[in-house]
Amino acid sequence: MQNAKDSFYMALRARLIAINPERTILLRGAVRPGILVEEAEAPLSQFPSDVFVLRWLGMAADLDLASTMIAEQCEVAYQTSGTQSFGGLDRGRALSAMDKELLQLLQPFHTPKLNYSVTPTATMLTQVFWDEPVFAPMVTQRDRLSRSASVLVYSYQEQGE
Amino acid sequence: MATAWFSAPAPVTRRVRAYFAPVNRAMQLPVLFDPSQQGRFSLDAPPAPWISLGWIQEFVRKPASKSAPLLTGIPAAPLEQIRETVQAQVSVSFLSWTKLTMALATGSQHMNLLAPATGAALAADGAQAAPAVVPQSGSTSTAIVLAASDAAKFTAGSIIAVDADYTGQTGYVGSPVAGAYLRQAVADVDYIRRITFNVALISQVSATGLTLADPLPGGVPVAGTKVQSIAGFVDREGGSFFQEWSALFVMEGSQGERIVFHYPRLQSICGAEEAMSPLNAKNQNGHSRVLLKGQFMALPVTDPLDGEKVVCYRSFLPAANALV
Repeated sequence: MQNAKDSFYMALRARLIAINPERTILLRGAVRPGILVEEAEAPLSQFPSDVFVLRWLGMAADLDLASTMIAEQCEVAYQTSGTQSFGGLDRGRALSAMDKELLQLLQPFHTPKLNYSVTPTATMLTQVFWDEPVFAPMVTQRDRLSRSASVLVYSYQEQGE
Repeated sequence: MATAWFSAPAPVTRRVRAYFAPVNRAMQLPVLFDPSQQGRFSLDAPPAPWISLGWIQEFVRKPASKSAPLLTGIPAAPLEQIRETVQAQVSVSFLSWTKLTMALATGSQHMNLLAPATGAALAADGAQAAPAVVPQSGSTSTAIVLAASDAAKFTAGSIIAVDADYTGQTGYVGSPVAGAYLRQAVADVDYIRRITFNVALISQVSATGLTLADPLPGGVPVAGTKVQSIAGFVDREGGSFFQEWSALFVMEGSQGERIVFHYPRLQSICGAEEAMSPLNAKNQNGHSRVLLKGQFMALPVTDPLDGEKVVCYRSFLPAANALV
């Protein structure tokens, strides 16, 4: 399961670098692509703006198959207040840009499953795949616009997992 | 060298992709598909002459072959089975309205609405057409070279039909796609351009001719072809002509496996039908997408391998490293 979650995150992270290399975040002293996994960072009272935050929620398993299928619900949350140069008046456009970026990040709807807990990273036998995202309505909090999208990520358990 | 493996469950797929290719009606020659050589083709670049119709929905295969026991003895008991009929049906919903999907989703011939001549009398299939123009030498499948006076008759963003004049022939009309069957000659010199599938969108008009957004399905215009503008398409409920095409339906699994259904001969079996698909399932009275419904009967071919009559080939190309 962890390999599928890692592979999903790393695929989206690699795609973000290609789609919008300028979306970055300074985190723990390092400039990184603007996408992070909430459970893999220090607890935050307010998640940062203009980055994608992955939050793993529900999970289900189908044990009747030749290989157990795991479905994990990933919520991708993001928010923006626009840019300072426009006094935040472009926050709607900024959120639309993130909507579009997320759609691009999720396509194609599959990626190879890799084991990132070993060095070098090992390519596994199956692929991780997911459904189209379900977008929630935009939420306005003063000058901040936020949205989340839910994605069901599927994977097969392999031997040794 | 040893290799690792995994137990593959049933394929998981999100959608089905459809490809069609014209059957040579006069010669009764369907289009072959060899899954051993062509099975892994790029879904966006099918091998010629297959034409992609994009993703489809509600792909349903219904085998209709019947078998019956051969009874012998007293009391009678089954000795063996015999196959009495070989038949199958396929139905799909097309997600776009194009010349080809409309033609496939109607039970009869599908026609182009040729741009009318000035003052022409009204007609349900489209009025008498404005005169066609002749392409000049040097035309290609994506560029039609015209005299400046002829090029001025077209506008960017309009659609053209490119084919020969009708000269009184009967039987299957149109090549390489037979678009109609004529029992007797008709009086319309533009008839072939009315039923041709050789249509394309004009992306640009210049003094020397037309640039097309997509290549003409028929390739480089041959001598004798002419060009006319078309305003749209029309089909009819009724008539005696049935579309017949070779078809491929491809399901790509989540692990890279692929299921390919090859129907060498599919004939449409019902009239034009649409299905309304609400954009928001929670609001049935809101916007709805109008989907073209296609229903087909699979006709048999004789497999040269062993002389058996069959209607469909189903191929499965497993995922890498999957146990079989």
